[in-house]
Amino acid sequence: MILLGFACQEKTEKPSLPKLGTPAIDFNCQDLKGQTWSLDKVRGKVVLLRFWADWCPYCRYEMPIIDKYYKKLNKEGFLVLAVNVKQSAEVALAFTAQLDLTFPVPLDPDGKMARRYGVYAIPTNFLIDRQGIIRQILIGEVFKEETVLRDLLKDYFKLQ
Amino acid sequence: MLVPRISQRAKLILSILSALLATLILFSSPGLGSNGKPDDETIRYKGQLLSIRRDPLTQAPLIIRGIESNLLEIKNFSKLSRKEIAHTGPLLVNKYQSLLQIEPDQMKLKGAEKISDTWYVSYWQTFRDVILYESSLGFSIDSRGNIKSLGALLYPHVQAPVTSKISHEEALKIGQKQIKDYKKLKCMLLAESVLIYPVKKTNSIDYYRVYAFNFFPEKALHPATTEGGWAVFVDSQTGKVVLFETLLKPLGCCVPEDWVPPKPEEMKPKW
Repeated sequence: MILLGFACQEKTEKPSLPKLGTPAIDFNCQDLKGQTWSLDKVRGKVVLLRFWADWCPYCRYEMPIIDKYYKKLNKEGFLVLAVNVKQSAEVALAFTAQLDLTFPVPLDPDGKMARRYGVYAIPTNFLIDRQGIIRQILIGEVFKEETVLRDLLKDYFKLQ
Repeated sequence: MLVPRISQRAKLILSILSALLATLILFSSPGLGSNGKPDDETIRYKGQLLSIRRDPLTQAPLIIRGIESNLLEIKNFSKLSRKEIAHTGPLLVNKYQSLLQIEPDQMKLKGAEKISDTWYVSYWQTFRDVILYESSLGFSIDSRGNIKSLGALLYPHVQAPVTSKISHEEALKIGQKQIKDYKKLKCMLLAESVLIYPVKKTNSIDYYRVYAFNFFPEKALHPATTEGGWAVFVDSQTGKVVLFETLLKPLGCCVPEDWVPPKPEEMKPKW
């Protein structure tokens, strides 16, 4: 089945909830295109690690704003990993197509990665710096106003 | 001669090994083609060139994209009201009906929102006016009224019960019983609905008509707590619980200092 191929796998054994200023927890996930993502692979980039599901209306309406900045800053080292929590590849694929999203969408069908990151509400966002350190944890709908994301990224990129 | 024989045998073994390896690579990324990318097909539909990706089980389209053309171009788009924009879905379904394999009147609006200059519109699929869980059809409309692609999770040829054999009260009791310490936790029913719940099996789909409940303990309603709720789906025919899972909280915003518990109608259900 498709789900098996896309599943996120926990790499480290002992669970520990992330805290600001601490290294991000390692992960190993496959996205909708079959590409594998891990912390090692994204080191050197500023990463917005976002947990979402299609039934969450707030998750839906923030996505185009995030995608706008991903398109703008991707070449400069901004990466969005929008992890779909506990849904099938088909649900996530239909959703990303509906919104024309271009960033990678890893899958976490059993919610293991979300649990490792202490996610209890969606959307939840972790901003991870180029050294792999968690710099922001943002829970709930926070990017509906575009300025919030822009201000956040200003610390890492030249933005007008 | 000995040497050529060994060489031929080695070639045979090598070819078997490479065939096995190719099979392994293929099956390690299910749903993906040999080039590592998901399989899209190009078809001509009523003279229009389209790229389609299909659900491997239902064969219904997951994505349809126009190749060098739009799926739909809406005239005078800037003058349309929200209500008129919400009606574009049935127009799209009407145009691509034989591909999508659903009727326009099977769609129920899920949401229509304008972000920057773009409208994002999405629908549920219904069966006899009952929503199919996790079904969707959606698209974006640019400022000129163009729809370039659509994403969908649709179920053609749904076969589901049209009436319930057990009552709502019975189903609710069954649902509540699934939660340990329901009363002690001061659980609240924050959303309920009758849904069609499709369960995909290897070669077929079972369609359950369910009473769907979202329960949350009172404590869980505070956004800052890590307490979650539960979704319980009770089969309306047998009373059997066909889905039980813990819920993440959908949060509209960050945690305010002057937080007050949300009213049930303010909570977003998981469907």
